[in-house]
Amino acid sequence: MSHHHNDSNLHYYEGDQSKLYSGVLNHHFNQDVKSAESKKQIGRIWKVFWILLVVTVAEVIMGMFFSHHMPSWLVATMFLALTILKAGYIVSVFMHLGDEVKDFIMMILVPLMFFIWFIIAFLADGSFWLFMNTNTPVK
Amino acid sequence: MTQQPTATVSAENNAWQGGRSPFNVSYGKMMMWIFLLSDAFTFGAFLISYGSTRFFSTVWPDPNKVFHSFPFMGEANLPLLFVSLMTFILIMSSVTMVLAVHAGHYGDRAGVTKWLLWTILGGICFLGCQAWEWTHLHHQGAWWGSFTDASTPIETIKHFFNAKATSHATFATGAGLQASHDFYNYFFTITGFHGGHVLSGIVLLSIALVNTVNGTYEKRGHYEMVEKIGLYWHFVDLVWVFVFTCFYLL
Repeated sequence: MSHHHNDSNLHYYEGDQSKLYSGVLNHHFNQDVKSAESKKQIGRIWKVFWILLVVTVAEVIMGMFFSHHMPSWLVATMFLALTILKAGYIVSVFMHLGDEVKDFIMMILVPLMFFIWFIIAFLADGSFWLFMNTNTPVK
Repeated sequence: MTQQPTATVSAENNAWQGGRSPFNVSYGKMMMWIFLLSDAFTFGAFLISYGSTRFFSTVWPDPNKVFHSFPFMGEANLPLLFVSLMTFILIMSSVTMVLAVHAGHYGDRAGVTKWLLWTILGGICFLGCQAWEWTHLHHQGAWWGSFTDASTPIETIKHFFNAKATSHATFATGAGLQASHDFYNYFFTITGFHGGHVLSGIVLLSIALVNTVNGTYEKRGHYEMVEKIGLYWHFVDLVWVFVFTCFYLL
């Protein structure tokens, strides 16, 4: 997994940032793209492609035939869970965030936790507004 | 050693005391991530605002009714099929993008060129599909600011909704018209903003393609630019995953 960083290469980070991409760290210029390590990585990419495709097809089939006969909270939970699953694969494998150091992953993911509050607050406000507009107060 | 240490300094803390990059990432790549984080909040605000409006509406259009057409299939009822094709195209272009980045790691210029071309083609196909869908909806009277005229015949909007919504007491007395208006304002704004990202992604990828073919990155010794544009491209795919769920599934 962690084909990106290697402690023995840490001296390349001292001073000049351009040395980060000297072809030593993220890169395998001296290796062949047809090498076993390269092929393993390509296999991983295609595996994620199939996962994303199967999940999307499953979502569409559910959206077309089943979601109308299920309770709406279940539909929402299911679709959101599958969406987050797909997002996780894209971010961690395609964007290689899973290969970065832990502190960096946290720097990106922790601010996104704000969304949990945003979603709860704004949707609750929406339903309260609907409630106020469809229920005439008793005098 | 003149001083007794008050606490043991772990190897992890040491990484922050200068002299090396604690994140193990180059400056440009880190800044791309931070930009994407801010862009995620922009798209998030759009989608949450859409959700909020939807929650305070008594009725809402049914995606199976709105998105049921396919090019050259006339009046055939094919719910969600076209958007599935669009999603497939975008996922596929994400795969070709990551393969371009991978080829770049190995300094494989021909590979980078090939996969960048496929990615650009995927992006163009996606935009073409979006143009068709927008045109199709526009022919049905939908646009920014449409469905505001209270005298609009109910038949004009009825086919966007399912039976449960159309039988609602408030449907004919304004709720249906208001929901159609809100739905399309959000639809064109959010898919338009996403389409704008796809378009600028295509421009960036084309620049990277020219530089790759000219050997600019090979001379530089790395294909980091392809990697950074790749991050942007995957983000655009990522946003589509959420747009797809919010507009077409839920």
